[in-house]
Amino acid sequence: MLRLLHNSMKKSGTLAVVCCAAALLVTVKAGVAQEPAAPAAPPTPPAALTFVGSTTCQGCHEDIFNAFQKNRHEAVEKDKKRGFENNACESCHGPGSKHADSATATDIRNPARLKPAETDKVCLTCHLNQPTHVGRLNGAHAKNQVSCVACHSIHKNGPEGLVARKPADVNQQCAKCHADVWASFQKPYKHRVPEGAMTCVDCHNPHGTQLARSIQTTNANEPGCFKCHGDKRGPFTFEHAPVRLEGCGTCHQPHGSSNPRMLTRPEVRFVCMECHSNLPGTSVAAKGTIGTTPPGLHDLRSPRFQNCNVCHQKVHGSYVSRDFLK
Amino acid sequence: MRPLLALLLILPVLAAGQAVEPPKTEGQAATKAADQAPAKPADQAPAKPADAPAAADAKPEAKADSPAPSTEQWLTGEFEFGYRWLTDIRGNFPEYRSVVNLGEGPKLTSFDFTIHDPHKRLFDRLDLRAYGWGGDPYNTAHVMARKAAIYELNFDYRNIDYFNAIPSFANPRVPLGFNEQAFDTHRRNMSFTLDLRPGTHIIPYLAFERNSGYGHGIDTWVQDSNNEFAVPILLRDSTNNFRGGVRFEYNRFHVTLEQGGTTFKDDDQSYWNGVNLGDRTTPVLGQTSLLSGLAQSYGIRGTSVYTKVLATARLNDHFNFFGQFLFSEPKTDVHFSELAYGNFAALSSLLFYSGQQTTGTGAANQPHTSANLGFEGRFFNRLRFVNTWTSDAYHDAASPVIATQLIQGASSTATVNALNYTQRVNYFQNQFDLFFDVTSKLVLRGGYRRVWGDATVLAGQLSQTGSLVSGELSRNVALAGLSFRPSEKLSVNLDYEGASSDRIYFRTSLNDYHKVRARARYQLNTSLMLQANFQVLNNQNPAPDIRYDFESRDNSLSLYWTPAAAKRITVMGEYDRSTLTSSISYLGIFLAPSTSTYLDRSHIATSAIDFALPGLSGAKLTAGGSLVVSAGTRPTRYYQPLARLSLPLHKHVSWNTEWKWYGFGEQLYAFESFRTHVFMTGLKVTR
Repeated sequence: MLRLLHNSMKKSGTLAVVCCAAALLVTVKAGVAQEPAAPAAPPTPPAALTFVGSTTCQGCHEDIFNAFQKNRHEAVEKDKKRGFENNACESCHGPGSKHADSATATDIRNPARLKPAETDKVCLTCHLNQPTHVGRLNGAHAKNQVSCVACHSIHKNGPEGLVARKPADVNQQCAKCHADVWASFQKPYKHRVPEGAMTCVDCHNPHGTQLARSIQTTNANEPGCFKCHGDKRGPFTFEHAPVRLEGCGTCHQPHGSSNPRMLTRPEVRFVCMECHSNLPGTSVAAKGTIGTTPPGLHDLRSPRFQNCNVCHQKVHGSYVSRDFLK
Repeated sequence: MRPLLALLLILPVLAAGQAVEPPKTEGQAATKAADQAPAKPADQAPAKPADAPAAADAKPEAKADSPAPSTEQWLTGEFEFGYRWLTDIRGNFPEYRSVVNLGEGPKLTSFDFTIHDPHKRLFDRLDLRAYGWGGDPYNTAHVMARKAAIYELNFDYRNIDYFNAIPSFANPRVPLGFNEQAFDTHRRNMSFTLDLRPGTHIIPYLAFERNSGYGHGIDTWVQDSNNEFAVPILLRDSTNNFRGGVRFEYNRFHVTLEQGGTTFKDDDQSYWNGVNLGDRTTPVLGQTSLLSGLAQSYGIRGTSVYTKVLATARLNDHFNFFGQFLFSEPKTDVHFSELAYGNFAALSSLLFYSGQQTTGTGAANQPHTSANLGFEGRFFNRLRFVNTWTSDAYHDAASPVIATQLIQGASSTATVNALNYTQRVNYFQNQFDLFFDVTSKLVLRGGYRRVWGDATVLAGQLSQTGSLVSGELSRNVALAGLSFRPSEKLSVNLDYEGASSDRIYFRTSLNDYHKVRARARYQLNTSLMLQANFQVLNNQNPAPDIRYDFESRDNSLSLYWTPAAAKRITVMGEYDRSTLTSSISYLGIFLAPSTSTYLDRSHIATSAIDFALPGLSGAKLTAGGSLVVSAGTRPTRYYQPLARLSLPLHKHVSWNTEWKWYGFGEQLYAFESFRTHVFMTGLKVTR
């Protein structure tokens, strides 16, 4: 850890260390110096509070009620499975008897006003036990307090009621926060996301997956890239190690690049030789042992040899050539 | 897919026969206005603030999600069609096709309808969507039909043309031109999923997916290490995926059991007949190397079975559990044959020969097991912890047999290369995160991730370690973060990840690295929102033979301005500045140590400004687009300005006209530049 902090100070992690220190100080201050105010927990209804039914809510909130009839959440109204039959509104807002009497906003729970984690808790009352959320703990959204309602509209009707469905709308929704990623898609070589032929959720599951960066999986546990690029999936009789060990991102920038084929370097030879530069017999210690001898036979000054995959064309894996020639 | 498109167009008409148009209600006009809000074209820059999720976070007291009043219309939606013209494409046409690839002609740009059956007979709701039809390189179609508690059916189709013929990517000295490794193919994805009894406790489901590729290209046939010959190739592959399962969803727990399987085939073929001198420009041992004929055929067949078990459980109010067990076992059978004739030389044996026949057989089997377990606990109302454990293991077995026969007149020399080897890749990860609610506005996060694993994989031909090479992975990662929302107008997120690795697989792998990401959003007033993103990744590998120094930075600033509730003008603008610097030692020409340096400094801006034209209700002018200007190792400029005019002709019809300009240039590869104007005009009909 000390080594880590030392490196941090030397390099660009300075900001992070400052923030960590600040966070630590705040924590200590909160824990020792004074008792902080209690976080706004969702109002726990006293025992006297009771459900009044959605038709009671309709009396004052008719516009919301009507729109809700075409939202997928309307199913809660008839759902005996979770015990909210006829109480769809109160399944999220909690028992509304006091609010119905006083007509005061503070007398009822408003999930949009809660802390993100508390909002999620309300949603997960029903949605926790669904397959979509099995990777939630691995996902960055839950860890960064991005609540369900940041993407999902609970009351809206229409085709896009609960969440954006049209490709362009899905991409817009993601781009609102991930502006830096959207900027990458303006580069010339990219996946066809700005064109609407693909969406962000084709490759990423915003609820989280077992893979890093919430990459989608296909065929149970294979990276989602192979869902579209089935010809690169294999298994090959001659595998190229990085494809299995570190994935497509080793050589490609899937969000966009100024380099052809979304490569990480403008010339193929550098993509290859940055790894294939271990001399036999030299001690590479424990760092970067995989990646064998470079092609000393080739005169790399000649353009003929500068794009390695003109010959080593089956670089994703080959069925018949150990050197990926065919 | 044309029949499908016809079906999409006809379905609403058929449904109209079933449905009874309800009496019009007073609120219908307002409803229509809401439902008919024009969809943004696919390539439009992102997000107006009015419907940004940020706004949902920042203004929770606003009326809940501004729901539109309900409607009794059975059919709602829109479609847009028109004609596209291109001016002469100046510059490099293959590069234009590789980057843009839009063509001229009549187009159905969008078709998007939703049908609600008031009698709820075959379906409660039917969504039909199609985009980019009429010869465009990207066509999509989607159908969703749902009947509550009975079924939900989804069909999705996509066709993405992949044209890639980039001069700088090929060998510029190839006699036939800049065409090696060029492709003109289509990739198509199609999927059907059927959920039965959705919303109930037990939900069976079935799915079928198909991914296929078809097209042609220019490949190379490589002869020994002497010469390589550009040859045409026909590419055909397909994967069919069948799966079915059942979900058990209860209040306390959920279990999903899924069983699936795939079939795969790859039937690529290459043919050549004629004189092909290849890329080599000098004789081999005094003789000219040439290819006279080639017949190459792949017959790859694959199958797989896979199993998926997912589970979640709420053990009590303080403790949640998540688990996955995933297993797949793809297998491949190889049948490859090749016959080439011409004038060739094998330098290693100083043999000249006129024909070469190669057959390849073999099999590969790749059992792949993954597991992921996690639990989340809440203590003391302020404290929450999450622990996740992941394992992933590939254990390949492969047994290729390659037989080669070199033919010289009546005699021949045969060689057989056979391998029988096993690859093993094991990956493990354990992560612990602790969340502490310091106040209602500040949440701190700290954690630790341990990553470890080992791999034994096939080594390259020149490896000195035998046919296999091994590596290990061992990394300790510190995690920290905070979420700060001091007011409803401001939110700040900060993430830090720093790692120290004892063992890594590759020279460019993450080694000793720091990753920082910060995001802030400020709602200045009801009409103006600002957002800033910052992230940096620094990775170092100071080993003497490697000396890898990598740093990428990305800063972006976004502005959303919607004065007067966006009645007159809305402005969206984003600016992104990214820099990437990388240097690493490598063995260059004749194994001489060198340094590979890569720099990329990019400015990227996108904008969209909407003006409501005075005096014309509903008329709108949009101006904006994007620009990319990068400097460094591959300086590039890519401009895509656009202007769009939308004029309402009738209550349900508007006339849209768009101009867009594509301008692409590279300082070091000037021959790859192109530029063209693209005009599109058409009608949009809404209901």
